[in-house]
Amino acid sequence: MNDIINSILLVDDENLFHLVFEDACSLLDITLNLQTVSSSDEADRLFAKWNAQGTGKPECVFVDLNIVGSSFDGIELIRRINYVHGNGVVVGIISSSSENFEIEKAKEAGAQFWIVKSDEIEPRLEQFRDNYSTYKDRTSEFKVYT
Amino acid sequence: MNLSKESEDAIIEVSKSHSIFLEGNLLKVLESDNAEFVRYIEKAKKKDKETRQKRLDVTKKVQSQNNELEKRAKDNDRLMRELQEVLMSAENAKKSVEQDLDVLQKKSQFELIGNIVNVALSIIIGVGVSTTLLYGYALYYSVDTTVIGNAWSNTFGILLTNSFSIIGTIMGVKYATSEGTKK
Repeated sequence: MNDIINSILLVDDENLFHLVFEDACSLLDITLNLQTVSSSDEADRLFAKWNAQGTGKPECVFVDLNIVGSSFDGIELIRRINYVHGNGVVVGIISSSSENFEIEKAKEAGAQFWIVKSDEIEPRLEQFRDNYSTYKDRTSEFKVYT
Repeated sequence: MNLSKESEDAIIEVSKSHSIFLEGNLLKVLESDNAEFVRYIEKAKKKDKETRQKRLDVTKKVQSQNNELEKRAKDNDRLMRELQEVLMSAENAKKSVEQDLDVLQKKSQFELIGNIVNVALSIIIGVGVSTTLLYGYALYYSVDTTVIGNAWSNTFGILLTNSFSIIGTIMGVKYATSEGTKK
């Protein structure tokens, strides 16, 4: 139970990926509490609410890079989580893209990791889970899981 | 999380009578000192894992098919756009060829009209000149000019009328051609 992340928020416009992520997390015992939202606006509203209430915020946030139907992309959401809401959560990108300039932008916005989405997401999530404690105590360098 | 002995027994009983097991993350937080319930939890976890693995495989397959469909839809859109462009290009080429053909036809028509006019003018001028020369000759040599004089004036009258008729015909043809082009 030591490796389990208390709560995760996944922000991704692709509902099918919600199911994939949920099942992968369950099979790998990554978390017991997974919340999914489909837009960055919704995630932003949730963070504002959690800030106001002082409770409910997730421990770790996975954000898709391009969130269709949202006012802003994943990098902007990470910037807002870090600099507007200031929650200090573990936050990173989960995307099928692995463009270097996007990765650099994400780092500048305060992302701690970048997981490349593919059919085989489980090994990457497993690696992330194994490194999670270093993200939580902020001792880990930014890492790209490919 | 621990359940009461009654709850554990009830849950085990449901699994035996209806093959219904607890599912999901709840199983990961359940604890018990009851050996039978511990076995139940392990069995339920195993079933849950199998179900989730199956669902994950199906979801991944669907996701992959969706991505493929999206890719093909994009390819179709691209092909449709290219087809539209080619169609427009072909229509423009057709219009251009039609215009060229029209110009060519008009050119031939004008050339034909020009030839007719040239021949007609030659005949008119020829007849006029020859009649005038004949009339002049008759006057010069004091030959009886009654017939030739009348013939000369009649010929000139006819030629003049015919000239106007030819000019009118040419103008009419030109006007009709230009109206056709405007339409």
